[in-house]
Amino acid sequence: MRLSWLGRYLWSGWAGAAGLFCLLAAWQASHEVYGSFVLPSPLQTLAAIRDVVRGPGFVAAVAETAARTFTGFGLAAGLGTVAGAIAGYSFAAMRVMRPVVAVVLGVPPISWIVLALIWFGASGGSAVATVVVAALPISFAGALEGVATRDRSLDAMARVFGAGPLRRFRTVTLPHLLSYLFPAWTTTVGTAWKVTVMAELLANAGGIGGELATARALFDIPQVTAWTTLVVAFALATDYGLLTPLRERLERWRSAGLPWGVKR
Amino acid sequence: MRLALDRIGHAFLGRTVLEGCDLLLANGEIVALVGPSGCGKTTLLQIAAGLIDPLRGRVRRDYRRHAMVFQEPRLMPWLTAGENIAYGLASLDLPRRRRREIAGVHARLVGLEPADLDKYPAELSGGMRQRVAVARALAVEPEVVFFDEPFTAVDVGLRRALQDLVMRMAGDGPSGQGFSGLFVTHDLAEAVRLADRLAILSARARGIVEIRAVPGRRAARGDRDVFEIVQSWSREEAFAELVDGEGRHVP
Repeated sequence: MRLSWLGRYLWSGWAGAAGLFCLLAAWQASHEVYGSFVLPSPLQTLAAIRDVVRGPGFVAAVAETAARTFTGFGLAAGLGTVAGAIAGYSFAAMRVMRPVVAVVLGVPPISWIVLALIWFGASGGSAVATVVVAALPISFAGALEGVATRDRSLDAMARVFGAGPLRRFRTVTLPHLLSYLFPAWTTTVGTAWKVTVMAELLANAGGIGGELATARALFDIPQVTAWTTLVVAFALATDYGLLTPLRERLERWRSAGLPWGVKR
Repeated sequence: MRLALDRIGHAFLGRTVLEGCDLLLANGEIVALVGPSGCGKTTLLQIAAGLIDPLRGRVRRDYRRHAMVFQEPRLMPWLTAGENIAYGLASLDLPRRRRREIAGVHARLVGLEPADLDKYPAELSGGMRQRVAVARALAVEPEVVFFDEPFTAVDVGLRRALQDLVMRMAGDGPSGQGFSGLFVTHDLAEAVRLADRLAILSARARGIVEIRAVPGRRAARGDRDVFEIVQSWSREEAFAELVDGEGRHVP
């Protein structure tokens, strides 16, 4: 069981790698048209990544950004999910909160960064605050929709069989809610990495954003692409290393009814 | 007396569906609620089961546990068949192993293979899902079972088998205690086959128009008896709404 799951997981990674190599080919082609100064080749970037990883400040910069990202993600996903789930139970709260969420989601993260810089100063706090404000509505909206669309006929069934409110939440609402939460959390994680780096760059608050600011000042384009590639890798690693395995574990029942080709 | 409905009345958004309904359910008795679609029989059942609070009247219950079989199976898609059958047992404070044993016994009773217990509802056929739903209701050893047109979507053979099972279990379950049943159906033959008494509902009269006993003991009624009773009753005024579809012309 465990082994077949691992095999399936790795096999799905193989298909994903094929798509990524197409992207790399396009990158190489653009590099050959525009030259190294505009767009360094994937190989040059790889070399730059090697230098960056061996550099003195690498671990500290990544640790700093990762700490901010995960603090921001934890706060945004935690608060957003709890508040959204509560709002989902109340029609009044839902009607009031939906437009608020739509408006907040429409605010560009860059505006939050400027505001956070004014409120919190050029520190890590403003990066975390920006992540929370920019990413919280996504989890909130996901949790709200999940609870609001729960199966009320299953809820009635559970009531007949003597399940209290807590047990009904755990057995009826939560499994359904998870299918809304995981896509929301995936988006939240991606947003968290991107917004943290952006906020660090603008606030000059160290971390990966700080390294990018230095690279820009030195016109060290391979270093820019190197750090960019690294951030993408970290964001994907968080998603595929943390969220996807968790989802696979919790939603095993979902694959039971799927045809073979979709499953693998 | 297991269950008593006193002067029950209910309305949805100001539209009255039930008025002054009285009904008694004796120990071990099966009462069928028959009537055309939209006459409020499901509403009356949900009031009796405590899923809806009636606007008027009172429900008196003299039992500890009840269960329900719905028209759709209403299984949790994220639980296996075995876990679904054991769902109602969780509130009974039994050890996990004992719960699995009980689920296994009741799965066999409704004709499920041991291998089916580990399958998810998506992997089961419609008939098997409804068997799981019946097993889930019987597993809690209820004293009253509510049936809401439970066998309308299953094939004829399985319907007969499940009706027989309900009749047998109402008489005496694995623990030998039996249960009382309130059975909603729009199929007069089904009602006559397995009920002791019929409560006939009318959409026009907004409630129970007549309660009558079915002749003979329910287990002893043969197919011919059922056929003859249905034949003679369907000519009567009380069943006109159910049988003729009067006032419900399809254009």
